[in-house]
Amino acid sequence: MNQILHIAADEWRYWFRSQLALGAAGIFLVFVLVTSLITAVRMEAETHTRTHQQTEAEQTFLSQPDRHPHRMVHYGHYLFRAPAPLAMFDPGLDTVTGQSIFLEGHRQNTVMFAESAASANFGGLAWLSPALVYQIFAPIIIILLGHSDIARERESGQLVSLLAISISGHKIMAGKALALLSLSLLLLIPLIIGTSIALANGEDFFALLILFAAYFSYLALWVFITLIASIVLTQRSATLATLTAAWFGFALVLPSVAVNVATGSTPVAGKIETDLAMLYDLRKLGDGHNENDPAFQTLRSDLLEQYNVKRIEDLPINFRGIVAFDGEEQLTKVLNEYAEERMQIEAQQDTTISRYSILTPVLAIAFASRSIAGTDLAHYHRFQREAEAVRYDFVQGLNQAHVEKLSYQADINRNKDEESSRRARVDASNWQVLDDYQFETADVSQRMATASYSLQWLLTWLATSLISLLWLSGRIKP
Amino acid sequence: MKSSNAFIRETKFAARDRSLWFWLIVVVALSTISISFGLTEVARQNATLERLVISDQQDRWAELKKQQDWGSAAYYSFHLTYDAPSDFTFAAMGLRDQQPWKHRIRMLALEGQIYERDVANPSVALIGRFDFAFLAAFVIPLVLIMLLYDLRASERTAGRLDLLESTTANTLRFWLTRMSLRASAVFLCVTLPLIVGGLIASTAPGTLFLASCAVFIYIAFWSLICFYVASWKKSSATLLMTLVSAWLTTAVIVPAGARLAIDQLVPVPSGADILLLQRETVNDAWDLPRETTMDAFFERHPEWSNYQPVESSFEWPWYYAFQQVGDQRTEDLANAYRDGRQRRDHLAAWTSLLAPPSLLERWLQKLARTDLESSIHYENSVRAYHQALRDFYYPKFFSAAPFDKSLLAELPKYRPTQSDGAH
Repeated sequence: MNQILHIAADEWRYWFRSQLALGAAGIFLVFVLVTSLITAVRMEAETHTRTHQQTEAEQTFLSQPDRHPHRMVHYGHYLFRAPAPLAMFDPGLDTVTGQSIFLEGHRQNTVMFAESAASANFGGLAWLSPALVYQIFAPIIIILLGHSDIARERESGQLVSLLAISISGHKIMAGKALALLSLSLLLLIPLIIGTSIALANGEDFFALLILFAAYFSYLALWVFITLIASIVLTQRSATLATLTAAWFGFALVLPSVAVNVATGSTPVAGKIETDLAMLYDLRKLGDGHNENDPAFQTLRSDLLEQYNVKRIEDLPINFRGIVAFDGEEQLTKVLNEYAEERMQIEAQQDTTISRYSILTPVLAIAFASRSIAGTDLAHYHRFQREAEAVRYDFVQGLNQAHVEKLSYQADINRNKDEESSRRARVDASNWQVLDDYQFETADVSQRMATASYSLQWLLTWLATSLISLLWLSGRIKP
Repeated sequence: MKSSNAFIRETKFAARDRSLWFWLIVVVALSTISISFGLTEVARQNATLERLVISDQQDRWAELKKQQDWGSAAYYSFHLTYDAPSDFTFAAMGLRDQQPWKHRIRMLALEGQIYERDVANPSVALIGRFDFAFLAAFVIPLVLIMLLYDLRASERTAGRLDLLESTTANTLRFWLTRMSLRASAVFLCVTLPLIVGGLIASTAPGTLFLASCAVFIYIAFWSLICFYVASWKKSSATLLMTLVSAWLTTAVIVPAGARLAIDQLVPVPSGADILLLQRETVNDAWDLPRETTMDAFFERHPEWSNYQPVESSFEWPWYYAFQQVGDQRTEDLANAYRDGRQRRDHLAAWTSLLAPPSLLERWLQKLARTDLESSIHYENSVRAYHQALRDFYYPKFFSAAPFDKSLLAELPKYRPTQSDGAH
């Protein structure tokens, strides 16, 4: 054990003497701190704006005057998606997905206004975040500091003497790995600071622990890959070149290629196209605005029978309201079928992309990180589902008021003159159909369930590289 | 004579360099992959559009057949607008995963419809596609770095440097020949698939030429940087890391910083505000005296100002008038949103001079008409088309023309227009 510690300490001493290594690590730390700071400030501002917009939208809705309830169904309501607490570490899909959605009767709108749509265009790498810095840039530091580990000892003749005094290759590698792993821990300090802010903002401690473990495993994986290369390749420069090539293949080329393959193999039909098919289905349903639509014939006769009256005018409830309620219910079923299908296909495409974690660990950590942070596709879908639930509730709440609070007579005469239009209104107290809404991430166990697939890949990579390293380090020759 | 001899000698030498062959094969493979994916995606988008054009027409006529008056005809009929991929889109998909390029719009207030995005899975937009522009702008510099960083250092390590330099008359020319030979090989390997793709997609030769020139200049630029750094008398690790840092700075740090700065410098109204205001205006109109709405409408359309709205009964002309007033009220915000995006883009164009990878990518996107300018051009064409629809229907509404289905055949048709009229 002492010998291992000794080798590790030697390695650190070497780094302190080498300005290149020290400079690179220092620059990295500054870089990740600056990125963390900027992302945190930006996300804090976003949270503030969107929460404010949400409150404002709710107040506007509640302060509407007395009206015909169906007017309020069309008046509609807005939801704003507040960022997850960990979005300040990994904003994930936050910037490319819409932030607000308009909710109204009879239709499901799309989430609109992604930040990326209005931002200055510099290409894909311009969206830096602390998570991306760790995923893409931290490996370079490890490669830079670790690539010469064996070649250097060999060149200086140290390797011969170490092996000669019967320090095994395993021990040498354990020492080198210990040095690089402790360096990785050091590199992760900004992550710890950054995520502690998320903790203060209500994030679960367990999620932070998993996130930390995932990134540490990821960096450990690069440590092992680097050490493997330094054993297998004898020349320093060849080792460095090979590792750099592996780095940009893993980080830059393969993830995008995976996207190309996935969009080709599991295409997602656009909304316009599916909407056309949906419109065709919707036309088979009755129009909830028209109480004479033949689709509501059974509903009409059932109600007449139930209340034992002859004409709908004699019903104690407003038949037009009943039709609106029933129409919305039927329609929503169809809308939800299509929406669920679309989300499932999107999720499938996402899984197809993440399956390419078999080719690059960068995809594995990226997907795992987004899932743990609550900024992945599952959470985007979660927002859409919640929005739909809010939409359906307030629309049907208003339709309920239409049924119970507004007489049929007043309703059908609403367009006669000003006085009758005034009579066809219900009290504004009926607008209290909204609850305070705030988007929250799923609880940790659910997030872990989504992340587990990518985490498994990450661990597979880690285990494979560790085993290879153990096997190879037993065969180190001077 | 002498220099051509040196050239032949260098070519023979390079042909025996296995790492050079490895990287050239990688480049050809990646370029071919990016081009074939691009061609497939463009074919998919075209096929989607072909299907949509047909089903859009069927859907519209199925609706129109059922209608009995002009107002309902306008209300229930949707119209497809789209921006078909250009002949060079296969090489630079650009903003097509972020900005909308197809809509189905109708006669209601346009501001509520034009920001709908019918785009792909957000993960696709986040990770980004591997298109030719990305390959050329971001990956190729790294390949050049790998090929050129130890041009001299490797010879020095091998102990051949002094021998080599003493046997050549002009050492600078010798190293330049060696460097340009490698750089040209990379250029050929990356552009050859592009040319083939261009032939398949029948791209205009001018576009292909301009793109190849841009790639050539870009490769020359990076090669010279590599050449300069490689001449330093430092260890090859230092040289490699210097070049990789140069890449990081120009490909990531400068673009990321500039993007933040520009977004901060040029404020753009929140899109949600446009929608909110438009919705408020349209909904308030139901409660306002009709004169108020009509007066605002007549400001734009004095020719119909003799129209007398009837209070408290539903009338289509009034309904569409308040839809338009909704657009009128949000005009300033919508213009500010568009102008803001354009100003950000202009600033980005200038700042990308400091970030060559962004510069090349943006240039290729411009050639492919997948940049912001084209996106706004498409947006304007949707606005113009929506206006044409209004011009078609308004006379029918306001002069109380009897409903005549045969006139619907004269409905304006959307014609996809390409920016700059280059083709």
